Amino acid sequence: MMKQAIASAFLVVAAIALPLLIGDNPYVTGILITLLMMATLASAWNIVGGYAGQFSFGHAAYFGAGAYSTMIMLSVFNTNPLVGMATGIVVSSLIALVTGSIVFRLKGHYFALASIAVAEIVRLTVLNLDFTGGAQGILLSDVAFLGLDLNSKNPFYYGMLSCLVVTLGITAYLRRTRTGYYLQAIREDQDAAASLAINIAYYKNKALLISAALTSVVGSIYALYIRFIDTTAVLDLRLSIEILLTAIIGGVGTLWGPLLGAALLVPLAEMLRSNVLGDAMVRIGIVSETSPIGMFFKDGLAHAHVLVYGIITVLCILYLPKGILGLLRRGK
Amino acid sequence: MKNAIMNQKLLSIAVAALSLFPLSANAARPVKLGFINSITGKEAQIGENLTNGAAMAVDDMTAKGYAVTVVREDDGGDPKNALAAYEKLVTRDRVIGVVGPYTSGSANVVASRADQYNVPILVPAAAKEEITMKGYRNVFRLNAPANVYSLVLMKAVADFKPKTIAYVYAANDFGVSTVKTAQENALSMGLKEVANEKYQQGQPDYRATLAKVKAANPDLVFLVSYDADAILLMRQAKEIGLSPKAFLGAGAGYTTAQFAQQKDISNLVVSATQWTDDVNWPGASDFGKRYKARFGKEPSYHAACAYEAMRIMIETASKTEDPVKLRTTLKNGSWNGIMGPVRFSDYSGFTNQNNHSMLVQQIQNGSYETVYPAQFSKKNIVYPFRR
Amino acid sequence: MLFLQSLISGLLTGGVYALAGMGMSMVFGVMNVSNFAHGDLMMLGMYLAYFAFTLLNIDPYLSLVLIIPLAFMFGYVLEKVFINRVIHHPHQNQILLTIGLGLIMSNSALLAFTSDPRILTTSYSSSSFTVFRDVSVSVPLLLSFIITCGITALLYLFLSGTRTGMALRATSQNREAAQLMGINVSRITAIAFGIGTALAAAAGALIAPTYYIHPLAGHSFLLKAFTICVLGGLGSVVGATVGGLIIGVVEALSSVYLSSDWKDVVVFVLFLAVLLFRPQGLFGKKGDQ
Repeated sequence: MMKQAIASAFLVVAAIALPLLIGDNPYVTGILITLLMMATLASAWNIVGGYAGQFSFGHAAYFGAGAYSTMIMLSVFNTNPLVGMATGIVVSSLIALVTGSIVFRLKGHYFALASIAVAEIVRLTVLNLDFTGGAQGILLSDVAFLGLDLNSKNPFYYGMLSCLVVTLGITAYLRRTRTGYYLQAIREDQDAAASLAINIAYYKNKALLISAALTSVVGSIYALYIRFIDTTAVLDLRLSIEILLTAIIGGVGTLWGPLLGAALLVPLAEMLRSNVLGDAMVRIGIVSETSPIGMFFKDGLAHAHVLVYGIITVLCILYLPKGILGLLRRGK
Repeated sequence: MKNAIMNQKLLSIAVAALSLFPLSANAARPVKLGFINSITGKEAQIGENLTNGAAMAVDDMTAKGYAVTVVREDDGGDPKNALAAYEKLVTRDRVIGVVGPYTSGSANVVASRADQYNVPILVPAAAKEEITMKGYRNVFRLNAPANVYSLVLMKAVADFKPKTIAYVYAANDFGVSTVKTAQENALSMGLKEVANEKYQQGQPDYRATLAKVKAANPDLVFLVSYDADAILLMRQAKEIGLSPKAFLGAGAGYTTAQFAQQKDISNLVVSATQWTDDVNWPGASDFGKRYKARFGKEPSYHAACAYEAMRIMIETASKTEDPVKLRTTLKNGSWNGIMGPVRFSDYSGFTNQNNHSMLVQQIQNGSYETVYPAQFSKKNIVYPFRR
Repeated sequence: MLFLQSLISGLLTGGVYALAGMGMSMVFGVMNVSNFAHGDLMMLGMYLAYFAFTLLNIDPYLSLVLIIPLAFMFGYVLEKVFINRVIHHPHQNQILLTIGLGLIMSNSALLAFTSDPRILTTSYSSSSFTVFRDVSVSVPLLLSFIITCGITALLYLFLSGTRTGMALRATSQNREAAQLMGINVSRITAIAFGIGTALAAAAGALIAPTYYIHPLAGHSFLLKAFTICVLGGLGSVVGATVGGLIIGVVEALSSVYLSSDWKDVVVFVLFLAVLLFRPQGLFGKKGDQ
């Protein structure tokens, strides 16, 4: 326990110092922000997906609720970003409550399927309404907050980092409370948990609410960071799946798994996107740029990054059902 | 043995790591440019046309003696990735100018950061008006924005005095933006709106929607669709027997060669486009022929836009070799190529926007014929529409 | 007239939905797996029909004779190699495995066939005939509806009249009991996934002539197939058939009487309402929800 606490403290200090080491490098800082964002989203998802065993396929709805609330409050009512963030928490909690009250009486597949349905309803509603910007999205030229320079990346780096620390803190705390034990009992055997007079729906709802609120805050920060949102960017089913894949590949139901997943997948995705792998192969001379194989690696590999995700997922499920963290632990 | 393998592994990792940081260029010092495009993701299909067009421009300019390196970046249609790509190009690859991004969402985000990094972007084909309406100094756009699509289409049929109009369009940015401006134009022309049907893309059955439009009996049916949705809609329109005086298709899905090949459903459909190969802009028809020979298909207007944007960027960047000078030269320059005369000017709320003259074409016997404006057209528009 | 027109086209489109839903329901019932690769299997069916037509000159509807056995074998192998290994794992892992397999299929298709949509143009692609004065009926849609009815009838006969069919139903009712009764459950499971795949591919092939073919084209049918399964009752073939027709009609009518852009919302709200008021679905058996 002590060792873990020291290690965590060391990690946090290192993360705080990191931007100072990198210096003025917006590209790398930008990727780190994405990494922290995905780590937080996967960790927040993990509270309901990992500990309570309720696989949500609709977390984009909570992310989008945070992003849209912030942008609408800013652009229409010109409020402080914090007001938007609070609105986002309220809206996402409402969505979570509706989802939970419909399906938490049911078992197995139903929650997964219903979470998709709710997220799609949210997406389509935002797309069809006018005050949400509809299909055109919302663009914000300038945001002011606490006198911070929001054109630089560091405020967002620290914002996302704080979210991650809070999320991991809540997860670590929950694990050692009654709620945490009950959630794991529900995950392992819902009927047995019910026979012990655990109020299953209550604890599932609690986990979903915490998870949704945290996800929404990340959405708010993302909106302030990118300053343009539309339904494809923040409410798409693909985002939901990306969040859960990150958690699963890292190690579901563990404290550090989701962070590990993001630390692996985000740089990998960026490398495939910017085609570093293909370029490197050509440069090292493994393949020639003009040969068909070289052309494939240079041009084709960029197309293949989702394919690589698919392969990793399948391999993980078949060989590492406990995620990469599970593998590391087994290796010890 | 094990050690040797280990060493080899380490070495290859080290080499791979080194190659992440490109060595500073020397020798002939080719001018370095970036190109952000949607190679993967939902917009990949149109993205490929841009890739091809830009590749042709690079080859043509290299053949003319320009030394240029173009770093290509994929954004997958995601604004977050487009921003990462732009920041990589500017801070790591140290390019002096960027062509792209393609999608409106990505272009919006990159445009809002361009002044911060002071490296100009030239948007080749994104339609959202907002992009050049915010007064960004480093954002240039070659293509005509969304409002022009509907404007030229309605002007092309204005002489026939249509009275009513119905809208059928995809629930995406391009669809909604285009129809919004179309409604304004219709209002000023005194056209009465009798149906307004926004649809979700990718559905197999639009018959009910089209039957509703048919019941409203409009003179004009204004359509905005991507990709193959256009073919689907027109097929089902034929089934249902929807037969207005004119089908007006705003760009995208109604301007593809694939659509024109479906003669029994696409004949006489009128569409707005940024470019055709039969217009008398210098090199337009030659570009069309060479593109077809190289890629085995007709170029879309996106390909032409990307070609011309890349050509202008290479020509201007080679002269200036510096992002700030590049910006002023783009601002003050003028070009005349396959997209006709190009100037980036400030007018009616736009900044650095090429006031591009869009064209109206009609499919006549399986091929696109330019029918408007009169100075570019060889054929007359066939009106009213008939099966 | 408008009502009749949308009712007919909705019903006919619903036939294809039903076929897709049935395949999903079969896998659900026997294996208790939500198959997120179902849409991608449909996509494979579309490409098979397309290539059978363009390369071999076989009519897309006729090509079903080839596609169905081919897809069955593909599904059978897929189950043996991948799904079978997680059959005793938690739901989550099964779902993820099918997501992963789906990603591999659709993105391999993107690499192989590019993202250019293909259009399958037959001589009857946009032909229609008129009934009741002004209501048009699409010829390809009607053909595919009739074939769907045929396939459904055959499936029903197979399930109720053959030994394998009965073994499938027994496994679906109670896996352990079926095993005790001497049924080779692992073989039956692979057959179930094979049938599910064959039905998905058939649905893809049937819709190909009236739709377009694209590596991601299956995705819009995936959520519909889920909705249909839940609506009809997980595992119920009859339920999936009725569910598919209901979804087709609801979509068509809500796009006329509400608006085109809200029709999907109506479908999802319907889905949630079923979960709320009748979680076992229209034809499902009450019990383990």
